[in-house]
Amino acid sequence: MNFKAFFELAKKKGITECQIFFSKSKSTKISLFHSEIDTYTISDTQSISALGIYKGKLGAGNTQKMGKDAFEFLVDQIILTATYREKEDKVGLYKGADHYVKRRTYNKELPLIPIEKKIEDLFALEKAIYAYDPRITDADNVTYTESESSSILENSHGLRLNSKSNYYYFLGGAVARDKEETKTYYDIHFDDDYKTFDVDRLTKKICDSALKKFGGAPCDSGKYPTVLHRDIAASLVGYFLSNVIADKVQRHSSFFEGKLHTKVASSKLTIEEKPLANTLFFSSFDDEGVPCRNKVIVKNGVLETFLYNRETAEKDGVETTANGSWGGSKWSTTIGPIFVKGGKKSFEEMIAPIKRGVYITEIAGLGTGMNASSGDFSCQAEGYMIEEGKLTSPLNLITLSGNLFKMFNEIKEFDNNCKMNDSGTAIGDLYIKSLNIGGK
Amino acid sequence: MLSKNLAIKVLNAALSTGGDYAEIYVEQKRVSSIMLENGKVETVGGSLTFGAGIRILKGFGSVYGYTSDLSPKSMLDLASKLAASFQGERAIEVTSIKKMKVKTINPIEDSLMDVSEEKKIAYLKECYLATKEVDDRLVRIIDAFTNYRTDIELFNAEGPEARFYTNFEERGRLTMTSFAMGENNNLQTAFAGPGRFGGWKYFTETLDYKKKAREIGEKAIMLLSAKECPSGKYPVVIGNGWGGVLFHEACGHPLEASSTARGLSVFSDSIGKQIASPIVSAYDDGTIANEWGSNNLDSEGVPTKKVELIKDGICTGFLVDRSNGRRINMEPSGCARRQNYRFPPTSRMSNTYIAAGKDNPEDIIKDTKLGIYVVDFGGGSVEPTTGEFNFSASEAYIIRDGKVCEPVKGCTLIGTGQEILMNIDRVGNDLALGQGMCGAASGSIPVDVGQPTIRLKEITVGGRGGKLE
Repeated sequence: MNFKAFFELAKKKGITECQIFFSKSKSTKISLFHSEIDTYTISDTQSISALGIYKGKLGAGNTQKMGKDAFEFLVDQIILTATYREKEDKVGLYKGADHYVKRRTYNKELPLIPIEKKIEDLFALEKAIYAYDPRITDADNVTYTESESSSILENSHGLRLNSKSNYYYFLGGAVARDKEETKTYYDIHFDDDYKTFDVDRLTKKICDSALKKFGGAPCDSGKYPTVLHRDIAASLVGYFLSNVIADKVQRHSSFFEGKLHTKVASSKLTIEEKPLANTLFFSSFDDEGVPCRNKVIVKNGVLETFLYNRETAEKDGVETTANGSWGGSKWSTTIGPIFVKGGKKSFEEMIAPIKRGVYITEIAGLGTGMNASSGDFSCQAEGYMIEEGKLTSPLNLITLSGNLFKMFNEIKEFDNNCKMNDSGTAIGDLYIKSLNIGGK
Repeated sequence: MLSKNLAIKVLNAALSTGGDYAEIYVEQKRVSSIMLENGKVETVGGSLTFGAGIRILKGFGSVYGYTSDLSPKSMLDLASKLAASFQGERAIEVTSIKKMKVKTINPIEDSLMDVSEEKKIAYLKECYLATKEVDDRLVRIIDAFTNYRTDIELFNAEGPEARFYTNFEERGRLTMTSFAMGENNNLQTAFAGPGRFGGWKYFTETLDYKKKAREIGEKAIMLLSAKECPSGKYPVVIGNGWGGVLFHEACGHPLEASSTARGLSVFSDSIGKQIASPIVSAYDDGTIANEWGSNNLDSEGVPTKKVELIKDGICTGFLVDRSNGRRINMEPSGCARRQNYRFPPTSRMSNTYIAAGKDNPEDIIKDTKLGIYVVDFGGGSVEPTTGEFNFSASEAYIIRDGKVCEPVKGCTLIGTGQEILMNIDRVGNDLALGQGMCGAASGSIPVDVGQPTIRLKEITVGGRGGKLE
């Protein structure tokens, strides 16, 4: 798509610098219910997001309606929104860099595999879930999704960058019933390489996890040595890192204000952001067009850097960390793939010394149960008791609560079971000295 | 947005392989938003959402596609691609289109789309000052106003004469967030978000916005001294208005046909059975004039209704959309909703509430010896298949000897919908509604939750404060 007319119109109307994000995406989603295709959804959409500097202030607009009026609408929106903003823009737009790291982010083979083969595999997954155990009465939400998107970032300084990516996932859930009890478990296989999908492996994971929950009951309320499954550890690290965003620090809403280069966590915690690593979450540049780079955020418990875009970096007198993200009407900050340093022991070795503790495998309600600024959290949880170093009875309908920052200071250890999850965090299971469990 | 001729062609392409229902949903949505931080304009935003979704049903099967390109080629291509996923002979040939009457139950006299940015900014500055005046420890205050107008065209066909509906949604929402900083980086926040399917007068004349703004300042300051919430099983009194989010999550979602029709809800076979304490009656009512969750018409062209869900503890109804209704032989109840054209519609709540009972709220507190009073929630979630839910309180106090005592923070309530409905032992006479956004399969949509003050005999409370004594 050619944006020359947009840049010309913007210039004519007094917009001194401007940038366009054009994105195109296509997706297919197929869900089964009782051995029939239940929903089949296809999509093909485009959108343009534009921003510009007008009389020294930043303005913006977004549209999904293409055609001759689109550019005029965007230019008018930039002028309108800039006019009312009370803050001057101090950084302007990025002029570009000499070098950008490139990687393959689009798997050409994925769209070539016929959709019939993917549907066949989806039916196989549903069938396998039903056949796994007589107590599994329903396969729920058995879904295949494939998506591809491409985008162009272009600005009035002549910077033009492209990206294109695709992925697929299989999702499935098992509903297991035994007497009065109903248990559910859902899991996902997410990749861009179709060859990595294995029906049996995903089925086993889903079904075993649902069946293991039978007999779950609350334990006594109290403080317990607590091991968190790596997916839960990953979401807690996410909240921890939301406080590292410079914008939040500058607005006095971060727990880490005034704590740069000080010890903020146990020396067992080392966190790196690696946007350039070979993962599905690879980024060559941020939304401002600045080349991404890998960085250590927390090293042995010491906070090494805040995360910046160009605007917040200017305020602190430092270089951007290339974490800029366009929020639709203003610049914000994003975090790329995270790697948390693992420990040396296996899961079994790590829990062996625990006489009486809990292993939390699932949580719900952390989104509203977390005060990300103070770090206080409380949420619904389930998992298993740990007794004499072994997993024993299942736990259900308990609450998990604590303080995020205190918790990261009380890390006993991570195990060596580090795996990148679907939201881009590679982390092991995490053993915390003690957390509060609410139950009986 | 779409000509009748093209609509007929697209519907016929969609029905070419034996589909028994086809629908085109065309949408244009203009959004305007303003956000102030500490009284200064931080962002002003505008966007245009535009596109169409095509859906075909054949028996229990459903296909859906959407595009932002409304050219005849793109629309016909999409319809043909979708039709190709069914195999069969055409059963319906659309030959004409009838324009349907849509009753306006949400009249707008003073459209928010006509209110200037200056006026909205001045209004938000008044909100900011009202909060700021409360206490110097309020370090950050965010005030925002977002409003939108969506124009919708819906064509659907089950026979040779297709139906054509036009509808609109026009809503505004004021959101206010305060941050109070105490000692040792103890940062507490409070939030209020009144919303309306309506015009500017509601926000400037009906709503006591300055009072709301003061309240979020006071609440954040109050939380600075709140102690950790205890954990264990206790009687819990839940305040009116937003307290209804508990019913919304724990019982409303499991009563949606998207769960019940598939045997995947704890309430799947519950019609005619007792599922709640006999003092509980509950409704979902999309017809309350100008309420945030109301609508003239649902997303499938069915007029919205007041649906009785529970009468004196007996389950009397589900929320039914067209597709899931086929599985349980139930007529659509006007509750099919979607965030935008990118989502196929499904059964969703609108304004859902527990009806008023007989008790004075003061008496409910007075009759509670030791327990917790939850005034407000941050939100929660539910797994409809098991009925397990969680909620986090954003304002809660300990009740001792019938009196509201010290505030507590970090309070989560968990349980199952089945158990909690039976456990309601007092229902107040002070029904009120509160506004929020609800996320589910068909996206994020505006809903009202509501209830009078109620008491739960016993529920699991999670916090860090140890046993309640």
